Amino acid sequence: MQYESAPEYWYVRQSRADPLERVERLASESAVVVFSLSTCCMCHAVKRLFCGMGVHPTVYELDEDPRGRDMERALARLVGAAGPPPLPVVFIGGKLVGAMDMVMASHINGTLVPLLKEAGALWL
Amino acid sequence: MNSKGDSVARDNFTHYFTGVKGEIIVKAVQENQRLKRAIWMANHRVGETGVSDSGPLQQSLIYGIHGSTSTATDYFNQQGAAYFGELEEALMHGVDGMKSDGDRKAYPTARPLTLEIFPSWPMRYQQIIRGKSQSAGSPDSGSAQNTISQLESDSPVSIKVCSDHSGHQKQQEMMASDASRTGAAAAEQQDGAQEKRKAAGSARKEGKLLDAKTVRRLAQNREAAKKSRLRKKQLESSRIRLQQLEQELQRARSQGIFLGGCSASGDINSGAAIFDMEYAQWLDDYGKHLSELRGGLQAHLLDVNLSLIVDQCIAHHDDLFNLKAAVAKSDVFHLLSGMWTSPAERCFLWMGGFRPSELIKILMPQLDPLTEQQLMGICSLQQSSQQAEEALSQGLEQLHQSLAETVASGPFNDGANAANYMSQMVVALEKVAHLEGFVRQADHLRQQTLHQLRRILTVRQAARCFLAIGEYYSRLRLLSSLWASRPGENFIANESAFPTATDLQVIHQSQQNQFPAF
Repeated sequence: MQYESAPEYWYVRQSRADPLERVERLASESAVVVFSLSTCCMCHAVKRLFCGMGVHPTVYELDEDPRGRDMERALARLVGAAGPPPLPVVFIGGKLVGAMDMVMASHINGTLVPLLKEAGALWL
Repeated sequence: MNSKGDSVARDNFTHYFTGVKGEIIVKAVQENQRLKRAIWMANHRVGETGVSDSGPLQQSLIYGIHGSTSTATDYFNQQGAAYFGELEEALMHGVDGMKSDGDRKAYPTARPLTLEIFPSWPMRYQQIIRGKSQSAGSPDSGSAQNTISQLESDSPVSIKVCSDHSGHQKQQEMMASDASRTGAAAAEQQDGAQEKRKAAGSARKEGKLLDAKTVRRLAQNREAAKKSRLRKKQLESSRIRLQQLEQELQRARSQGIFLGGCSASGDINSGAAIFDMEYAQWLDDYGKHLSELRGGLQAHLLDVNLSLIVDQCIAHHDDLFNLKAAVAKSDVFHLLSGMWTSPAERCFLWMGGFRPSELIKILMPQLDPLTEQQLMGICSLQQSSQQAEEALSQGLEQLHQSLAETVASGPFNDGANAANYMSQMVVALEKVAHLEGFVRQADHLRQQTLHQLRRILTVRQAARCFLAIGEYYSRLRLLSSLWASRPGENFIANESAFPTATDLQVIHQSQQNQFPAF
């Protein structure tokens, strides 16, 4: 698991970038990307799920990011949640999988593993 | 079966069921019917209603548990004195003509008065019948002889029934009552027929010469008959009252009124109480879905029709998940505690419900035969649900730790000054709110697992699968009931509690299904 802090936050120009764009850019940089909160236990659960499968996701802790709030809101819109942002949100191969329930559902119906293999996050 | 509050009070009779098999139930019912026939014939022949009706006995047979123990014995204490005199008569007139079939307690009238120490009432009936038909010297003694020989042929059966321990007798009565609840109507018709014949019988006696002793005896008989009729009426009205109460309870449940004893929380309007009632209703409907499934399988319906029933069953499971989602919002601790479920189910509780990988493990043997592909699908389903469960459990563990830390943070021994740690309480409350998220994810996992099972299996396999799930949980509930009512435990205290008709049905069905597809 790699914990990244977003690199360009000190460039004023960059800081006006659309949070949604940023999210999407970050999401496509790694095979498996998890947007999380360091204090959130459900985020801990999804991390443990991937580790248990032998996958090493790239985790962005939004509460440690100065622009985390905006990104949270953008994610909420992406996922389609009405209320508070439903972290964790998972991207695989640059494509949105969804919040915890979507991840679990896709694991149960057997679509998660092929997705991971396709993205190169899982071998065998 | 209903929520835990019921399980202790109800089913206290089931300690009689230890070692019961389906065949015993059938045998008991048959013997019960033979008994009834014997009694009816005895009444018909003898005429005068000293033997009055098997009324109370029938009532107890129908009424089952509660009635049989107390009222039957009371009745016979009353009658014992009256009939003792008659028995003396019979002895004096001699019953040497009676052969002994070698039945153990068959014709003890040939022996001295120690015979009165029978535990079983039907024998008394038969001796008294014989005694009276001998001493009354009725003109139809020929037919009386026929009666007697018929009684003789019936008596081995009755003796078999009666010479058991009184406990067994009650057991059979109860089983008979369970199995023949609908037979109650038929039995009552028999009762009515007996009444008419009694009336006809007494009319015949008036034409004969009656000496003082006979007159006295007849008067005693009439008194006894009156008493037994009164008793019968009382039993009947109590039974009707019980039915009314049950109906009221059902109606009240569906109207959502809390009648007490069914919920962990005392507040009528609490989310927990409401959920408990809804769950009880869900269980009732679940039983119906399962019967439909069973019927559909046995009737070998077309796949397209059977799949409708299976989908209905799955939708019913989905309903429960919706109910649980609602109560998770209002009272997550109630769900997590498992107080809404039976003790045995609670033992296996994982995050407020069943553990999907465990359920799959249990189901695997029931799903044979599976194709290679299906087997792989089920195995990978089990593995992925295990991984998901592990992840959720670890997440919940972290939440527990975090919550404990929050509650324990700040200085202890600061006295009753709650203001000191009120800020921590606020944080702790937020964390408790996260519990709801975990329970919802766990339920979501369960739901997805059930749906995936449906996708992997064929229609018939899926039907058997969901039937097996229902069967497994009703066995757990039965285990809970049996455990709650084990001998020496709660039985005496709860004598006044009745199992409901649904419970008896469930018990009966579970007994019947002891050897199903499992």
